Amino acid sequence: MKSVIFGRYSNYNTPIHRIDPRVKIIGMIVFMVAIFLPLTKVGSTSQYEINMSTATNFIILGIIFLIQLILMLIGRISFISIFKSMKTMWFFLFLIFLLNILIPTNPTAEQTAFNLGTLAISYSAIFSTAYVFVRLVLVVMITSVVTSTTKPMELTFGIEWLLYPLKFVKIPVHEIGMIISLALRYIPTLMEESERIMKSQASRGVDFKNGKFKEKFKSITSLIVPLFMSSFIKASDLADTMEARGYDPKAKRTRYRMLSWRWVDTLWLIVIAIFLGLIIAQCVIGTNYMLLLMNII
Amino acid sequence: MQKKKNEVKTTNDHPDYSKYAVVFDNVSFFYNENTPTLKNISFKIEKGQYVALIGHNGSGKSTLARLIIGILIQLSGDIYINNELMTDDTAIELRKKIGIVFQNPDNQFIGSTVRDDIAFSLENMCVKSELMEDLIKEYAAKVNMLDFLDSEPSNLSGGQKQRVAIAGTLIRNPDILILDEATAMLDPKGKREIFNLIHKMKDENPNLTVISITHEIDEAYRADKIIVLNDGEIFMEGTPSEVFSHPDELSKISLDIPFFSKLSMELKGISKDVSNVKSMEDLIKVLCQ
Repeated sequence: MKSVIFGRYSNYNTPIHRIDPRVKIIGMIVFMVAIFLPLTKVGSTSQYEINMSTATNFIILGIIFLIQLILMLIGRISFISIFKSMKTMWFFLFLIFLLNILIPTNPTAEQTAFNLGTLAISYSAIFSTAYVFVRLVLVVMITSVVTSTTKPMELTFGIEWLLYPLKFVKIPVHEIGMIISLALRYIPTLMEESERIMKSQASRGVDFKNGKFKEKFKSITSLIVPLFMSSFIKASDLADTMEARGYDPKAKRTRYRMLSWRWVDTLWLIVIAIFLGLIIAQCVIGTNYMLLLMNII
Repeated sequence: MQKKKNEVKTTNDHPDYSKYAVVFDNVSFFYNENTPTLKNISFKIEKGQYVALIGHNGSGKSTLARLIIGILIQLSGDIYINNELMTDDTAIELRKKIGIVFQNPDNQFIGSTVRDDIAFSLENMCVKSELMEDLIKEYAAKVNMLDFLDSEPSNLSGGQKQRVAIAGTLIRNPDILILDEATAMLDPKGKREIFNLIHKMKDENPNLTVISITHEIDEAYRADKIIVLNDGEIFMEGTPSEVFSHPDELSKISLDIPFFSKLSMELKGISKDVSNVKSMEDLIKVLCQ
């Protein structure tokens, strides 16, 4: 059950672990932007142009993959956990593939990869599925790098710090931070609870594994309802405890965990900025550059 | 109207309760109008007393605890904490001097590690960050959890979690400590650990008033005073030997008396005088003399 959450914090002391959580969050956002930036020029007509941009996309994703691989090696993140977390993605991948081949493109003979009965499957369908797959893998990788090298509390503090400007538009940033940290704290507890409920329901004859979809759905209800009930009880107990220990969301509080910014963090931030700059530059001039190259040839 | 009443009633208007940590004066409370949870409760708890509150499930024990700490506010009657009237407005201030440990070890673990959980109380008290580390270590040592500072709740036993909760409560330096069935979900070993810890704390700080809501009859016997609740009313009140000398009345509300006092009562007239023994060990000692 515990393996479901990918990228659980692993207690090592690597350079990645030591980076300030704020830098890691910013870095993660930059990487995600880079992963999802589309380079295919909209309205490209020439087949050559499309091929070129597809190729560039894969090259760029390859570079990102390499960088993330290095980060994973430095941060000592287990590759097994990433494979495990990808288990659930196959269904989506299949769905995406299905959608791609069902979009009527009427590929010409040279665009067709193979025929499935009367259905012609084009290279572009395969490529766009592969494209989505690679992107998903990259996203899982980068989030694992961040979540398994940063303590949940630090991550929360980082998010809270980054959200701080929103305070001026009356958004309760501190409360959001508290909510996130409590949610993170209670994930393992609720996991244990649901396991316990599942066992006790199974002992009363509820079958969670077999049966038709409808029956399965019904048996899941017997898990969800008690889980909800116990969560409400937990929440009210927790609220009482917090109140009893003097918590007042509106009052001023001090902090036990302080983030300390070191010069290495500045260095990492510069590296991330350069990376972002390169990505943007590639995005702006990239396709034009390709066109230029093509014209010369 | 409630408000007006609070304004009129100042500290000077009531009898001098400075001797008492908690005073309940004709307090009633209900969640549902037709079934009152607490009916006209009146009692006084002296400062530094160890009071056990017993009664079967649904007798209103936990509601009473929540009234003392001001999470719930009484619907009629007055509650005085350290000689000050508990109202909606004073609850937050008065609560600073009261600590409570609840029943479920998991539901009162706020931080993600032992360290963070103890720190939560300090953060609320606006203690400077530099001072926190030492305080956390000091109190973790008091509850014997110094070796587990970086452990997560899922790796701790129930008794250990309750000890952390006690540390997080005691670090606020309360005058009154309430244990709301704090040992009900623990195994016998965990129970013993917690009670020994509480008695140790009590010995270290004689001014600490402890209110222990419990099902453990043997534990209640170690208290200075016992209050027996039944159906939202005080059924009996007195020292342990007074209360447990009425086994018939107690059994009427399905409460038991400790085994050793049952035994010592049976032994009356047959053996030596064993009527004032305080525990099983004492009884054995007296009998073997």
